[in-house]
Amino acid sequence: MPRPDAEPRHRTRGSDPGPRTTDHGPLGGRHERPDARAKVAGSTRYVGDLSLPGMLHAGVAVAPIASARVLALDTAAARAVDGVEAVVTAAALPGANLVGVIFPDQPLLAADRVRMVGDRLALVAARTPEAAWRAARLVEATLEPLPAVHDPVAALVPGAPLVHDGGNLVRTFQVARGDAGRRSADVVVEALYHVGGQEHAYLEPQGCLAIPEGRSRITIIASCQCPFYVQQAVARVLGLPLAAVRVEQAPTGGGFGGKEDYPSEPAACAAVLAFATGRPVRFVLPRELDMQVSTKRHAMVVRHRWGADRNGRLRFAEVDAVLDAGAYVGISTVVAERANVSAIGPYDVPNVHVRTRIAYTNNLFGGAFRGFGAPQVTWAAEATIDRLARAVGLDPLEFRRRNLLDDHRRRICTGQLLRRPVLARECLDRAATLAGWDEFHARPRAADTATREGMGIALALYGCNLHHGGQRLDRSSAVVILQADGSVVVRVGLTEIGQGNLVACQTIAAQALGVDPTAVQVWQPDTTTVADSGPTVASRGAHASGMAILDAVRRLRTRLDPVAAELLGCRREQVELAAGRARVAGEPDRSVTIAQVAAELAARRIEAIATGWYRSRPRRFDAATGEGEPYEFYAVACHVARVAVDRDLGVVRVEEVSAAHDVGRVIHRDALEGQIQGGVVQGVGWGTTERLALDHGRLVNPSFTDYLIPTFADAPKVNIAIVESDGAGGPFGAKGVGEPALIPAAAAVRNAVVAALGVELDALPLVPPAIVAALGDAHPFAWVAEEEHEHVRSETVAPGR
Amino acid sequence: MADRITITLTLNGERRSFETAPGRRLLDLVRDDAGLVGAKEGCGAGECGACTVLLDGAPVASCLVLAASADGHEVVTVEGLGRAGALHPFQETLVTHGGVQCGFCTPGIAVTGAAVLARGGDAADHARLLAGNLCRCTGYAKVVEALDDAAAKEAADAPA
Ligand code: FES
Ligand code: FES
Repeated sequence: MPRPDAEPRHRTRGSDPGPRTTDHGPLGGRHERPDARAKVAGSTRYVGDLSLPGMLHAGVAVAPIASARVLALDTAAARAVDGVEAVVTAAALPGANLVGVIFPDQPLLAADRVRMVGDRLALVAARTPEAAWRAARLVEATLEPLPAVHDPVAALVPGAPLVHDGGNLVRTFQVARGDAGRRSADVVVEALYHVGGQEHAYLEPQGCLAIPEGRSRITIIASCQCPFYVQQAVARVLGLPLAAVRVEQAPTGGGFGGKEDYPSEPAACAAVLAFATGRPVRFVLPRELDMQVSTKRHAMVVRHRWGADRNGRLRFAEVDAVLDAGAYVGISTVVAERANVSAIGPYDVPNVHVRTRIAYTNNLFGGAFRGFGAPQVTWAAEATIDRLARAVGLDPLEFRRRNLLDDHRRRICTGQLLRRPVLARECLDRAATLAGWDEFHARPRAADTATREGMGIALALYGCNLHHGGQRLDRSSAVVILQADGSVVVRVGLTEIGQGNLVACQTIAAQALGVDPTAVQVWQPDTTTVADSGPTVASRGAHASGMAILDAVRRLRTRLDPVAAELLGCRREQVELAAGRARVAGEPDRSVTIAQVAAELAARRIEAIATGWYRSRPRRFDAATGEGEPYEFYAVACHVARVAVDRDLGVVRVEEVSAAHDVGRVIHRDALEGQIQGGVVQGVGWGTTERLALDHGRLVNPSFTDYLIPTFADAPKVNIAIVESDGAGGPFGAKGVGEPALIPAAAAVRNAVVAALGVELDALPLVPPAIVAALGDAHPFAWVAEEEHEHVRSETVAPGR
Repeated sequence: MADRITITLTLNGERRSFETAPGRRLLDLVRDDAGLVGAKEGCGAGECGACTVLLDGAPVASCLVLAASADGHEVVTVEGLGRAGALHPFQETLVTHGGVQCGFCTPGIAVTGAAVLARGGDAADHARLLAGNLCRCTGYAKVVEALDDAAAKEAADAPA
């Protein structure tokens, strides 16, 4: 069997099955995911599948308009509904009326003021879901409409209606580096991009189950990414110490960031109702309400002024971005922090001025979403790069090659020097080759047909794990227990939400202990079994839990190795663990099974449990200038998209996306490919069809019929090139991939569509009316679309590339 | 209208009767009355396919079917796809091809895919035939590979 380190350093997915579980362990292989069999059999129990004796169902009454004063709330009719056990308004909360993660700006229940559609007015618990929702609809709110603001740029103009008393500007981030070169640019491109938001559309709606024990403590079982966030929120609204709130993560039917911050809110609601009634309360959001009230990817407005010299070298980049926080900050500051330092991509630019402002509006509030502010600014940056390439007359690949960071030019936006190797060019070449870039452009393409083909490229530089600003959260806990039969229990604080954290943790533990992965059981997180491990976000799940597992294994081995050495008759330093055995290094025939060692530990009553801990390396970062080390290390991704655009209908069909990813080291090959395939398709959906249609802050398309996510029939083919390298910081050298998989996809599609049509497109998503409007006079129905899409400017570019 | 009605159907090969409210959806009957919670409610509006079951062999969105209309018919849920304690061949290939991530769409996809296999036909149509089932995690590729593989295995096993 090939050993992973004996294989070529950069590998492409083909029919290659990857290394199997053998002597070198499961790392990089494709063994079965531990959660797959139960899931295909339909026996995995999601929170909506759980019920308990006496359990009640929650419903919620929400505000139908975006800005209002609450004059009165009448709950009499709701209380009279048969089966209703409790109706709770702000006045009846046991603890703080507060669910904001970072800023204390969001009440659990609106008391006097409504700031967005979906603000909660009253909670209901009833014996059936039907009764709960009927009662919720009967809550009568007398609302006095107030002026509202729905445009984040307008919100920052003096005199705009105030969403909160302190003003609409929440915070400003910036990077200011260099200056002098700005005047030496030969070509300057200015552009204004309107980048839309996105609905997560996880297939399982938000849900949780609250189980009270008197009024002294409570268990929450929740569909969530961050059990520790839920724990904090519930403790605060109930007025309980953290230790009295136990949060167990239920198997979670997708998250993508949508179950990072938001689940704290339904959990707090269910907890309040559980305490009010003394009974278990299950709260599952119906799809339409889930889409209407949950957080979204932030819409952003991004203004660019970038310059290059005539040789195609970037001279300066000025970026001015405004992020629509919606009515509450939620985690917008952290999203803006990432957007701010991701604004110029993986390019070497001597002079950089970036400003990112966060504006309150009366829109639905923004939250975490795969990519976390980076996809929006990447979309803008890659559009501008293509414009500059055209302006200096260079092929988009060649223009990028001249400016990409590499082993010699390693200074990113913030001035931080990247660790070697910097694999941007490698990724570009691999993606371009997979896509057949040269062949595509050598082929003649018809210019007189309704369907036009195009190819576009985009790259992303992704800061792995949490930003400097969130460093206090960047730690993680693990527990490893060696059972008497040699099987292993692993507990971690980070969650499986579909992305493959269970299989990643299983692989890492099995690799470190030299056992078969089937000997390792990783259990869903529970806040009473591990210490606060921060959130499962920022593509940090496998990294942070993996590092903690490795630490736990190291500590366990301080007790295991001496016993094994005694059984083997060797020194403890000679003990190695592999292929399910403890053996003498260099003498594989002298071995005992791990099960024998485990039995011996049990017989001697030696502690067979160990905890592990991980925290990120401290870094230097100056928030005022934006200079320093926002992230510990980085991953690069390059996507090439091939599209066919129907000019008459304005319909974009994405045929193929070729994705090259610098992943450090593969942990589990199927999970890695699954992340890339899923991320690309989600990014393509965002870029093309997923339009959040807001009317005065109300989502008018909260259904899968009207909000179009990609289906089996329209998902592009995804080609994958995996670039491995030595020296990354994660477990066995792995880097996160969950978000890089999405970030450049929509930008590559945009550039492909521009290449196909020969007009610039500056608003995302590329829905048919936007395409038709951009075609301007060239399209018979242009006037219809232009009225709807006033920001879509038509600007003709040179045909071809 | 009567308060309760009796519905008798064949559920996963077993003849069963349920006393239930007349307006009940087949999805509720299966999940709440029969306790078979494999079928999921992703939308309740016929849009996502997570609730798919077989009604007389044809895949239907059980959130859109009145339970009463299944009276006298045959219903198969994800729990009833396999034979003799083993997974259905498509369930098996979903596992081996890594076609499962969060798993919430998976029961519905397994049921639809089983119906596609039973019908036979061209593997080139697989993606189109599965298009009534949404998945937000996988990007679909490994699911289609799994169905192709199950179809190929079935063709290889079929008596010549
Ligand atoms: S729940 Fe029936 S189709 Fe979505
Ligand atoms: S696996 Fe998550 S929706 Fe399909």
